[in-house]
Amino acid sequence: MTAVDEVARHGSPVEQSEPVVVIIGSGAGGGTLAYELTRQGATCVVLEAGPYLTQDDWVNDEWEAFGQMAWLDMRTTSGSWRIARDFPNLPAWIVKAVGGSTTHWSGATPRFMTHEFKARTTYGQVDGASLLDWPITLEDLAPYYDRAEQAMGSTHRHGRPPLPANNNYIVFANGAEKIGYRYYATGPYGTNATPYDGRPASIQDGFNFQGDKNGSKWSTLVREIPRALETGKLDLRPNCQAVRITHDATGKVDAVEYLDANGALQRQAARVVCVAGNSIETPRLLLMSASGQHPDGLANSSGQVGRNYMRHLTGSAYARFERPVRMYRGETMAGIVADEAKHDTSRGFAGGFYMETLSLGPAFMASFLEPGGWGREFTSWMDSYDHLAGMWIVGEDMPQPSNRVTLNTDVKDQHGLPVPNVHFDDHPNDVAMRTYAYDAADQLYGAVGALGVHHTPPYPATHNLGTCRMSADPADGVVDRWGRAHDVTNLYVSDGSVMTTGAAANPTLTIVALAIRQAEHLLEEMRQGSL
Amino acid sequence: MTQETAQHQSEQEPTDLQVDTSAQTEGPPEGGAQLTDSGRARRVLVRLLRVAYPHERFPDGPYERTAAAVEDAAHSNAADDRALTQGLAGLDRAAGGDFLALDDAAAEALLRDRADEYFFRRIRSTAAVVLYDNADVWELVGYEGPSYALGGYIDRGFDDLDWLPHPRIEEYPGEPRVELVESQSQETAR
Ligand SMILES: Cc1cc2nc3c(=O)[nH]c(=O)nc-3n(C[C@H](O)[C@H](O)[C@H](O)COP(=O)(O)OP(=O)(O)OC[C@H]3O[C@@H](n4cnc5c(N)ncnc54)[C@H](O)[C@@H]3O)c2cc1C
Repeated sequence: MTAVDEVARHGSPVEQSEPVVVIIGSGAGGGTLAYELTRQGATCVVLEAGPYLTQDDWVNDEWEAFGQMAWLDMRTTSGSWRIARDFPNLPAWIVKAVGGSTTHWSGATPRFMTHEFKARTTYGQVDGASLLDWPITLEDLAPYYDRAEQAMGSTHRHGRPPLPANNNYIVFANGAEKIGYRYYATGPYGTNATPYDGRPASIQDGFNFQGDKNGSKWSTLVREIPRALETGKLDLRPNCQAVRITHDATGKVDAVEYLDANGALQRQAARVVCVAGNSIETPRLLLMSASGQHPDGLANSSGQVGRNYMRHLTGSAYARFERPVRMYRGETMAGIVADEAKHDTSRGFAGGFYMETLSLGPAFMASFLEPGGWGREFTSWMDSYDHLAGMWIVGEDMPQPSNRVTLNTDVKDQHGLPVPNVHFDDHPNDVAMRTYAYDAADQLYGAVGALGVHHTPPYPATHNLGTCRMSADPADGVVDRWGRAHDVTNLYVSDGSVMTTGAAANPTLTIVALAIRQAEHLLEEMRQGSL
Repeated sequence: MTQETAQHQSEQEPTDLQVDTSAQTEGPPEGGAQLTDSGRARRVLVRLLRVAYPHERFPDGPYERTAAAVEDAAHSNAADDRALTQGLAGLDRAAGGDFLALDDAAAEALLRDRADEYFFRRIRSTAAVVLYDNADVWELVGYEGPSYALGGYIDRGFDDLDWLPHPRIEEYPGEPRVELVESQSQETAR
């Protein structure tokens, strides 16, 4: 690749001196926002730290794909979570590439529930938790959920057919039925069961975490980014990492400084800045943008930037059977049980969880099944690989002020910048829910004859939330109901960091719905001349 | 972790991801005989891998290539290199001179005693990735590898499980799920 290619821009060039909407990150939040704004006439620059990979670049190989797509820049960890011991420099499993983690994501798209927007009111005071009600309700978001489901092509929604049952689902759903669960299905899932929106139906190749070469899976890489480029209003700059947001004397942000592919510092003037770097990089960037006016980090007068980091309950269960399953054949997560996604304190904890089918290949399985594991017990699971069925447990974890992303000034990344440190301790509610969920998994698989069930601990977080949370009161959070920073009128956060609480559902549908809603707000503000 | 190790790891390889850097400052155990015969070190390492990751179905090939990867990983860092050499020599010593002569149970017992030692943790962090990240092993555990070029599994058995009935794939058609279950105490409070 030549230097020219490396700094190649995509779309329609925008002068660096022209103050435009600058979006940082091109994943679920940033990619959606870019499309919604450009298609309605607003000029945008998207700065994306990672490369522009496409379907042809992807490979059907877990570690190779991971090396190609994942964010592997140095990060550090602290706290009592097992990740700090097993994967000390990999707190999260997220992507550094155009399309962000939507290229790696699997596709489960449940909505949040009404009461989950009112977690503090519904769950009451939970010791040690910094629960808060969202400043918006499910009603506010419902129309945008509709649009997000249409954009992402969620199965089972808006007349779209379900995906067929694959082997892993056959075991999962039969077990669910046997123990009295009723709310199981192969979705909603953001991958086409039949051709839709210009993309083909799934060929069930089992490599959707690796990008999905067939293009049946929704991602901002296959949908929003190319369409935004077609509008002629987008200047997409891959391999460009934002390192500081600057502001003028009045306190409005006026530019984003970034390192281009050659490591040269560049500056793009901005009318509005929307940060969508996912919940570790977004607070890191705000903290790195500290100034005289914002001594503790940009937009951090509340002290909440980086706090209340949530990663969902998570845990997986793998069950071994007498006869073959071959769970790796087919869509990875096209199977959802929603029966436990409810708030019912008789179970001994607040909030709920979903169970979703999950399959890893042997290479990932060996690393994640029981990190550090060895010996005959460990290898017996690997030996049974084609007789395993698997599920993931995703549930609401409690926000805690001490679960936090901070700058680790002792450790520098390849650019000499302080790396983010992720501190995390499980809340007792998280532990109680996980214990209950593992037991439910034992029952589900036991009902269809499992010979044994292995409880796999949480792996590096695929869901990263809450570090710039929305709040009605500026003292409690970082952004308002539109994702606008309480402290800075033209600074927005447009990714999962804004989540006040995490709910049980996988977050991406909600991130996309919030971004569509935020785009409407931004366009209106710009029309009125207030931005 | 030390700043030094952190800095030169800024771009990580997959095999580095599980490396537990927390104990690196403790350094390798001091003293002990040097295992100067590198051919022997390799044989002890291969045996260690077979005992730690016993698979009757695996031939020597996968263990040999994993041993080579473990050595390569250790060579990138003088402290790791020393830890590996001394760790392997320590196994021979603990076995009364010949780790290779121990039966499986005795060899495993020695490893159990050393489960938390740096050299063995470091070996595992490489081995767990390398041993299973290769087509030679995939076939043995019943995994078919890349599938896109073969048209995926849509016509090749993605739903061929025949020992359970085919379940419903649509959402439950009956009454909607109760999302909020009022607790006893909330009810009395009202
Ligand atoms: C394996 C896997 C499976 C998943 N499955 C599901 C699922 O089934 N359902 C679901 O809802 N969610 C799923 N997720 C989660 C989903 O991918 C994320 O919730 C979602 O993509 C987050 O959106 P985001 O916009 O916050 O961040 P991302 O999509 O991660 O995008 C952030 C982008 O910002 C870029 N960036 C960061 N910092 C900077 C900077 N300083 N300058 C420039 N660019 C920067 C990054 O490179 C990245 O491209 C999964 C994730 C993974 C990894």
